[in-house]
Amino acid sequence: MIKSLKLEWLKVKYHPLIWILFGMYLLALTILCFGGTFFLEWLKYEGEDFHGLDPTLLPIYDFPDIWQNVTSLASLLRVFPAFIVIISVTNDITTQTLRQNVIDGISKTQYLTSKIALIVSLSVLSTAFIGLAVLINGKLYAHPASHQLMIEGATFLVAYAFDALVYCCLAFLLALLIKKPGFLIMALALYTIWFEPIAAAILRNHPDLRDTAWVVLPDYFPVSALNGLIQLPFGRYLFHEITDFVPVKQLIITTAWLLSYLSGIIFLLTRRDLK
Amino acid sequence: MNILELNGLTKQYGKLLAVNELNLQIQQGQVYGILGPNGSGKTTTLGMILDVVAPSSGDYRWFGGMSPIKARQQIGAILETPCFYPYMTAEQNLRISAHIKECSAAKISEVLKQVGLFERRKDKFKTYSLGMKQRLSIGAALLADPPVLILDEPTNGLDPEGIAEIRTLIQEIAQQGKTIILASHLLDEVQKVCTHFCILKNGNKVHEGLVNDITGTTRQIRITSQDLSLLKTTLQQHPGLSNLATDGPELIADLQPGTTTADINRFCFEQGITLSKLQPVNRTLEQEFLTILKANQ
Repeated sequence: MIKSLKLEWLKVKYHPLIWILFGMYLLALTILCFGGTFFLEWLKYEGEDFHGLDPTLLPIYDFPDIWQNVTSLASLLRVFPAFIVIISVTNDITTQTLRQNVIDGISKTQYLTSKIALIVSLSVLSTAFIGLAVLINGKLYAHPASHQLMIEGATFLVAYAFDALVYCCLAFLLALLIKKPGFLIMALALYTIWFEPIAAAILRNHPDLRDTAWVVLPDYFPVSALNGLIQLPFGRYLFHEITDFVPVKQLIITTAWLLSYLSGIIFLLTRRDLK
Repeated sequence: MNILELNGLTKQYGKLLAVNELNLQIQQGQVYGILGPNGSGKTTTLGMILDVVAPSSGDYRWFGGMSPIKARQQIGAILETPCFYPYMTAEQNLRISAHIKECSAAKISEVLKQVGLFERRKDKFKTYSLGMKQRLSIGAALLADPPVLILDEPTNGLDPEGIAEIRTLIQEIAQQGKTIILASHLLDEVQKVCTHFCILKNGNKVHEGLVNDITGTTRQIRITSQDLSLLKTTLQQHPGLSNLATDGPELIADLQPGTTTADINRFCFEQGITLSKLQPVNRTLEQEFLTILKANQ
């Protein structure tokens, strides 16, 4: 595993685009994690109120809610680590360095391990960043809370790491299939941000489909299943009922997706000739 | 000792039989040429023994049965084009190869000097000319000081100077006692560096043998002078020549046993004819290659 990780490090270390993307990802996470109070100030300036409540008084950084608040938003940035995976994998294919790596003496399994090492590293790094951001923000803005209350919502952090891992594995599989980084990045972003959410919204809300099985179908879609892991919790500030836990059903669905992605990756890597 | 043994190695792409039941044995120290026209199955064969193309049937054994991964770490190989990360320098690229081959990074400078790229080691791969890229490939292949080198069309796309450079490099490496497997359709190249060769055609091995067995001088000579008809009439009287015939601006004939080119030269001079050319004909691999291919049509 260490050898695989080092191999991947040697490859990404000098790739300028990967570092630009990683920098953009960290910047977006920073804005997202630390921009809450500024956003609420802006809402107040715009004259918004929450049932007569001053927006700046909303306890968005209080434990344990802060975990779900931050991780649910951060998971919407999952495209960034996925883009890094796409660039890394397609780079190996288009330059035929994957083939040369195999010729030089790694097995296809070792190649798979090196990419999984990259994906796990991205997932762990972003999770650690978010964990740290939550603790800093909690320290700065949260009302005092017991240690137990502070760690109560930390399961969302684990769910976030899993979300990033599953989505990056989808990116890995697609990169092996499509091999064209520009097209794939555009297609995956559009699918994740537009196509699937619109399709899911139509199925969930179309009057003709009410009380039919079609309504629950989006729960099984690749991106919607991930969105269902950490659901957006901000309805609670409008006194709506929310899912303030990681649903087991979504965990099972995303695990099934992860296993199918890994099976696809292994199938493509082992069965396909490296021409 | 058998470095490589192929037993009935076959590759089928749908209806296309790219390599058919190929059996080969390559021994230590041989410089083995795999010849064949484009599409004859050379690269597919090398792809299979390097584990990037899965055989449809048959098998191969490196070093008498070493595990394929360990074996590949001990082999320096280039398949078709040089494959490196374009955004990295030569040194950075070779660091990856060294890491995979589990050899010391200290060797990098040494091989870069050997292939004449040390001065350009800090330049990005994408700025290299094709010749430099090929030399870097050979450098990467030499990194682990491998006992076996596999080179697939190493002079493809190079200018004459580049071809000569790579050929010299291969000859130097061969002199170190390494086993080299060289696939090429450039017959002159194989003739100059290989000791053994086989010919593939449509995936089938149609010939195998020693390069020396089919090259070298023949009993045939090419001869010409200012007055070709007078020369022909004169030479017809010489008992040591047979099959005398005109071939364009010169005559060709076979020397009988016991007759030398010096005898012919003296005879013509005594007859008052000054020869402008008297040349023994060498058999080339190219001639033999074409003959073998024709015979197997």
